[in-house]
Amino acid sequence: MRRSRFLPWLVFILGAAYFLLPLIATFDFSLKLKRNVYSFAAYANVLGDPLFRQTFGYSALIAVCTIIVGAVLIVPAAYFVRLKFPALRPFVEFITLLPLVVPPIILVFGYIRMFGSSSWLPFTASRQGTNVLLTFGYVTLAMPYMYRAVDTGLRTIDVQTLTEAATIMGASTPRILLRVIFPNILVAVLSGAFLTFAIVIGEFVMASLLNRPAFGPYMQNVGANKAYEPAALAIIAFAVTWAAMGMIQLLARFAPKAASHDE
Amino acid sequence: MFKITGRLLSLMAVGLFASTSISSAASMDDLVAAAKKEGQLTTIALPHDWCGYGDLIAGFKKKYGLTVNELNPDAGSGDEIEAIKANKNNKGPQAPDVIDVGLSFGPQAKADKLIQPYKVAKWDEIPDNAKDADGYWYGDYYGVMSFEVNKDLVKNAPADWSDLTKSEYANSVALAGDPRSSNQAITAVYAAGLSKDSDAAKAAEDGLNLFAAINKAGNFVPAIGKSATLAQGATPIIIRWDYLALADRDALKGNPPVEVVVPKSGVMAGVYIQAISAYAPHPNAAKLWMEYLYSDEGQIGWLKGYCHPIRFNAMSKAGSIPKDLLDKLPPAENYAKAVFPSLEDQAAAKKIITSKWDSVVGANVK
Amino acid sequence: MSSSGDILNGNRFGPGLPPGSGLAVSGPRRDWLGAIASAGTLGIAPFLIFALLFLLLPTLGLVSGAFFDTHGHFTFANFGQLTQPTIVSAYLISIEVSAASALLGAAAGLIIALAIGRGGLPSWIRSTALTFSGVASNFAGIPLAFAFIATLGRLGLVTVLLRTYFDFNIYRYGFNLLSFWGLTITYLYFQIPLMVLIVMPAVDGLKREWSEAAETLGASTMQFWRYIGLPVLWPTILGTLALLFANAFGAIATAYALTGSSLNIVPILLYAQIRGDVLHNENLGAALALGMIVITGGANILYIVLRMRAERWLR
Repeated sequence: MRRSRFLPWLVFILGAAYFLLPLIATFDFSLKLKRNVYSFAAYANVLGDPLFRQTFGYSALIAVCTIIVGAVLIVPAAYFVRLKFPALRPFVEFITLLPLVVPPIILVFGYIRMFGSSSWLPFTASRQGTNVLLTFGYVTLAMPYMYRAVDTGLRTIDVQTLTEAATIMGASTPRILLRVIFPNILVAVLSGAFLTFAIVIGEFVMASLLNRPAFGPYMQNVGANKAYEPAALAIIAFAVTWAAMGMIQLLARFAPKAASHDE
Repeated sequence: MFKITGRLLSLMAVGLFASTSISSAASMDDLVAAAKKEGQLTTIALPHDWCGYGDLIAGFKKKYGLTVNELNPDAGSGDEIEAIKANKNNKGPQAPDVIDVGLSFGPQAKADKLIQPYKVAKWDEIPDNAKDADGYWYGDYYGVMSFEVNKDLVKNAPADWSDLTKSEYANSVALAGDPRSSNQAITAVYAAGLSKDSDAAKAAEDGLNLFAAINKAGNFVPAIGKSATLAQGATPIIIRWDYLALADRDALKGNPPVEVVVPKSGVMAGVYIQAISAYAPHPNAAKLWMEYLYSDEGQIGWLKGYCHPIRFNAMSKAGSIPKDLLDKLPPAENYAKAVFPSLEDQAAAKKIITSKWDSVVGANVK
Repeated sequence: MSSSGDILNGNRFGPGLPPGSGLAVSGPRRDWLGAIASAGTLGIAPFLIFALLFLLLPTLGLVSGAFFDTHGHFTFANFGQLTQPTIVSAYLISIEVSAASALLGAAAGLIIALAIGRGGLPSWIRSTALTFSGVASNFAGIPLAFAFIATLGRLGLVTVLLRTYFDFNIYRYGFNLLSFWGLTITYLYFQIPLMVLIVMPAVDGLKREWSEAAETLGASTMQFWRYIGLPVLWPTILGTLALLFANAFGAIATAYALTGSSLNIVPILLYAQIRGDVLHNENLGAALALGMIVITGGANILYIVLRMRAERWLR
C-alpha cells in the first residue's frame, strides 16, 4: 500500500523555504562587514568575546533549571486537573495564558517590590536568591507553552485507564506519575522543554533588571548600535540554541521509554 | 496597606539619606573613601555606544576601583523612573543609584520625591536653564537633530527639512522611534516645524504637516531606523540625534559611508539630565560618579561620544578641550543656531504631536 | 470528563470492575479515593501557590493601578480614556493581526505537523524540524524584523532576486512588507513552529490502526480526515489557536521594529505609557493591560465553549 509522498515533500520544501530564506538573508548581510568583500569578520568579533561563552553558559544552566522546575510543577497539576478537578480546567488554562499578555517588565518590577531585600521573602538579597527568582520568573514566562504541550500529551494518552490499571497493581500516585504518565508524554514534555529553552536564552528584560549576567542582555549590548555584528550574533545564537536542543533531544533518548509507538 | 508602609519607609529613607549625605564637594577625599567603602555603583539605561558611556564607565572603574552594575541599557526614561519606584525597599544591586533621563522628567521626579539633591564641584558652570535651582537634577549633555545618510544609496544628502519631500528620496526617510512615544522621534517632528515657526504649538503643527507631505510623496518609511536598516538599505535616511549618527558613522567604518547633516534651519537641541535616586543604596558612589562626569575628564568623555557636554562653553573658554577632538566634531556654526526649548514648549509640542500624528500624517498602512 | 467514580461503575472504556473483585464499594474504596483526592490536592497545590506568588500577585499589582489616577485617587477615568479613537483602533488592529496570524499559523502548522508526523518522510526530518521549531518559536523582535526586511524589504534578497532573474517586482504588485499583511507574515515565523510543536503529540496520537481500519472499511483519505482525523484533533487545534492568539496579542518587539511608526497595536501603546520617554501615565497603561487581559479571557472562553462542543462528540 504505497502512499504518495508528493504532498508531504511539497509541504516540507515550501516550509523549509519560508523558514530558511530569512536566515539566509541575515547570514548574507552579516558577511558584509568588510566593504565589497564577503568575510567572517563580524563572526570573529562576536565569538572572540569571552563574555559570549560566559553569558551563554549561564543562560543555558538557568534554562535547564527552568525546564526541570516547570515540568515538576506543571505535569502533576495538568494530570490532576484532568483526572480529578475538571471543573478547574478553564480557570487553570486562563492562568496559563496570562503570562503571554502581561509584559515581563511588569512581572519583574512586581517581583522586586514583593521580594526585595527588605521584604518577607528577600530573594534579591543574595546572588543565589536572585538566580532562583530569575528561574521562577522564567518558569512563569514558559508556563503557557509548557502547560499547553503537556496538556496535549495527556489528552492523547488515556490517563484514566492508565491510572486505573496502575492503581490496581498497587502503584502509589508519585510512582504512577513518574513511571507511567511521564514516559508516555515525553514527546510533549520535550516540546515544552524546547520552547522553554529558547525563551530563556533570548530573554532580556528580566535578566537585565535583576542584574544577572545572562545571554539576552549580552546580545542587547552588542547589538545596540552596530549593524553587522547583531546579524552575526542572531545567526550564531540560532545555531547554538539549535545545537543545545539537539542535545536535549539526545538526552531524552535515555529517559524511560514509552511502551507504545516509536516512529 | 502596602502603600502606607511604603510611604513611611520612603520618608524614613529620605530622612536617613539626608542625614548621611555629604554637603559639599569640598571633602573630595572623604567622598572617595566613602564611595570605596560602598564598593559598587548601579547604573541604568546607559548603552555603551551612547555618548561614549562605555569608555566613561570603564574609566570610572579603573580610577576608583568600584564595581559598576549596569541595568537594562535599553531602558527608556520611563523605565528608569519605574525602576526607582519598584526598588524603594530593595537595597540589592537591582536598585539604580543614578539616572540619565530626558529634561521633562526632572521636575516630575522631584515632585514625586524620587531623587535627592547634590551639587557637584563645577555646579556654577552649568547653565541656569539646564538645572534645578535646588540641585535635584542637572543637565549633562545635549545634541541636535540631524540627518544620518547612507551615501551608497543617497547621492545628494538633503540639506534642510524641506528637501525631504523631494522625489529623489522616495522610500528613504525614517524616524528613530515611534513619534507617539519616543522622545527622539517627537523632537524630530518638532524640529522640522521649527524651521518654519518658532512658536512651540505652531511648530508642532508645521512639523506634522511636513511629515504628512513626506508621507504623501511616498518618501516616508514606517520602520524604526537603526544602524542595521541604514546599512541594509531599508532606511537610507534616518532622523536622529547627531551624536548617535556620528557614533554610527564611526562604527560602520565606511561600510556604507555615512554623512551626518545638521539641517540649515530648524536646529533643535535636546538636553538630558542626571539625578541621584532618593533611595540609592550607594549614595556616596553616586555622588562620586557625578563628580567624575562633571570633571573635565568626564565632560571630554562625553565629547568623545560626540555629545556636547553641558560645560562645553565654559571649558572651551578655558581652553580645556583638545583641538583634535574639536576637529572631529561637525563645524561649530551648525550649533550656533541651536534652539533649546523650554519645558513648557516641549510639553506643548509633545501634546500636539503625540495626539495628532495618526490623523495628520496618517502613516497607518493597512 | 467522567469522574473517578466511573472507574468502578463503568464508562466508555469498559463495563468497570466486576463486583467482588476485591475492591469493595465502601471502606477501602473510600480510602483509595481519599488517597487520590489528597494526592490530587497535593499535586496541584504547588502549581497554584507558584502561580499566585509569581504571576497573579504581581499582575494584580499592575492591574489595580488601572483604578487609580496619577495622584492615587480611586477613579474609573482610565477606562473612559480607553474609548479614545486611537486606542480603540489599536485594540482592533491588535485583534486582527493576532487572529490572522493565529488562524494562518494554525493551518500551516497543522499541515506541516501532519507532513512530518505521518507523511512517511525520512526520520531525520522530524527531529530536525522539531528542534528547529523550538528555536524559531522564539525568534522574534528586532532580529526577526530585520531578517524579513533583509528578505522581503525593498532591497531584500528575495525581492532583488525576483526582480533581477524573473523580472517580477513584487512591490509593483502592491506588496509591502511594512504593512498589516507584512507584519502578519512576519509573525507566522514564530506562530507556525509553536503550532507544530504543540500539535505534534496529538498527531502522533492518531493511531495507525484507525487509518488502517478506515481503509479496510473503504473510506477515502478525505473521509478519514473529515470523520476521524480532524474531529479527534479538533480540541487540540482549538486550544493551540487560543494560545497562538494570545501569543501574537502580547507580542511587541517585532511589531515595533517593523511598523513602529505607523501601525498602532496595544502592547506598543502599553509600553509607551509604562516605559516611554514621554507619556508615562502608568494608570492608563494598567487600564490598557487590563483590557488585554479581558480580551484574552474572552478568547479563552470562546475556545472553551467550542471545545466543550467538540468533546461532546468524543464522549
